[in-house]
Amino acid sequence: MSGRTWPGWRAGRRLAAGAAAAAALALGGCGLGPGEEPATPVSLTVTSDFGGRALLRRPEAEVSGADTVMRVTQRNAKVTTRFGGDFVQTIGGLSGGRRDGRPYDWFIYLDGVLTSEGAGGLRVTGGERIWWDHHDWGLTPDVPAVVGSFPEPFLHGADGRPVKLQCDPAQRAACDTVAARLDRVGVEADRGPLRRADRDGSLRIAVGTWTALRGGTPEARSVDQGPKSSGVFARFGDDGASLSLLDPRGGVAKRLGGEAGLVGATRQPGRPPMWFVTGTDAAGVAAAADAFDEPVLHNRFAVATSGNLPLSVPLPAADGP
Amino acid sequence: MIRRAASPLHAARAPVAAAYACAFVTAALAFEHPLVLAAIGVAILAAGLLAGAGPQLRRACLFGVPFALLIALVNPLVAREGLDVVLRFGDMGPLGNLDVTKQSLVFGAILGMRALLVVLAGAALLAAIVDADELLRRFRGISARSALTAALAVRLVPVLGRDARRLADARRCCPGAAGAGAIGSLERLQIVRAVATGALDRALDVAATLEVRGYASPAAHGRARRPHEPWSRHDISVAAAAAGLVLLAGGARLLGVASFEAYPRTVAPVGAGEWVLCAALVLVALAPFADRRGVLR
Repeated sequence: MSGRTWPGWRAGRRLAAGAAAAAALALGGCGLGPGEEPATPVSLTVTSDFGGRALLRRPEAEVSGADTVMRVTQRNAKVTTRFGGDFVQTIGGLSGGRRDGRPYDWFIYLDGVLTSEGAGGLRVTGGERIWWDHHDWGLTPDVPAVVGSFPEPFLHGADGRPVKLQCDPAQRAACDTVAARLDRVGVEADRGPLRRADRDGSLRIAVGTWTALRGGTPEARSVDQGPKSSGVFARFGDDGASLSLLDPRGGVAKRLGGEAGLVGATRQPGRPPMWFVTGTDAAGVAAAADAFDEPVLHNRFAVATSGNLPLSVPLPAADGP
Repeated sequence: MIRRAASPLHAARAPVAAAYACAFVTAALAFEHPLVLAAIGVAILAAGLLAGAGPQLRRACLFGVPFALLIALVNPLVAREGLDVVLRFGDMGPLGNLDVTKQSLVFGAILGMRALLVVLAGAALLAAIVDADELLRRFRGISARSALTAALAVRLVPVLGRDARRLADARRCCPGAAGAGAIGSLERLQIVRAVATGALDRALDVAATLEVRGYASPAAHGRARRPHEPWSRHDISVAAAAAGLVLLAGGARLLGVASFEAYPRTVAPVGAGEWVLCAALVLVALAPFADRRGVLR
């Protein structure tokens, strides 16, 4: 029997084509309704002044289906948007604009990494840590990575990339501490020596004195160039024996001598973020390794240690908010 | 050309009738609340029907409804707002993740409805109840040059349309044009006729326009003033309705009645204030039709 003579042939072909189109749409993420909800909770944090003031904390934010970051934020906070709903104008009544002649705006960190996309285009899949911070961007609008979402980006934000712990052999104890903290939160990290270049796209944590880390990677060089390049509001002295903590305007707010430590993160364009657990000397590195813990890092852009006292970096400006 | 009907709107002077139509546009643009927009729609349709402008409104709907539907369909695709996703298109490349939300559909429908009301009131009703010649004549007293420009521009649009048709006919007579053969004396005559008719037509239209708008009268040169025309009862009632519509819209906005929030969740409170406002808008808009004394039949 020929296909032309079978009465159901044409209808069958249409049905098959329709089913194929529906399958293609479903595979492409299309469908009716909000979609499947993520299995892992999504956390939402809203702060101001570089994490200095907490405005909202939802460890298990309300999520419906395959929400975007913007929708999660709108479900859990009072938000007004601009540019067609992709960018935030106000959260909880706090808006971008100018304050005391300084520009302020909302910035979003997804798993500890500044996003370049609008929040309306970022879909949550589960386990994300969403952090909105309202801060002064007069010195730089680009603080590309922060430590306050730990254990992200190592736990969910790695997207299957390996995590590498690169240690100065002279700082074995500090490296052990960092490795143990990673292990405790369920992050598997390959441990190895410090390397000058690593092009495999892994997320790296470098542990060692700043003299050992300095100049070894583009990320370390950017930290030496200052916050405009790295987004880290701290600078080591030329000899690596002192650490200056900066305020949001780039001025030196506090200068630490020996035994000063720093846990910071930065990111070069097109590369994954890189973290530093470092210090002016062995004692400083050990103190920084001790600070490498979720409760200490929580909601901070970077952490400096003076003795065993953790300090949020950037420090508030003397005449600032 | 306006077709005068026996209605208070046609009996009112042109600027007043224009203000009445513009008041509807103002009210439509002042609100996003669907109930209030529906009330304004009812008022526009009722006023149009009572003023005998039903056919004009129907013709305007032929253009306005597809335009409104287009707005209603485009909004959900461009607005990434709203919380309740009803349709997911997935990753659309440069557009990112495209989700259609219930709120963007609702707001799209509201934007479409507003556009339709603006077309109905600002185009169809205005054209049906306002004598453009009279309006321009009165406007001349405020700004003679602007009125002259407007008068000529309005008049020349149909003339240019006729010109285009004649030149298209003439072009078909040219050798080498599709379907054209060798040019003969008849075709030459047709071309000359098309061009000459167009030129004469335009000249006559400009002259007629200037004459009709009163530019030939001494008043156009400031040598004489128009005699004062007392306001008729229809002038007063239509002007009062126009002012009432604008005041109701402004007052409601100031008092926060019929507030509307499109995103992230649609919030359109419906209470006594909203119902009273809707009733007031319809009553004020239709009040001039209560008195038909003196209306031409």
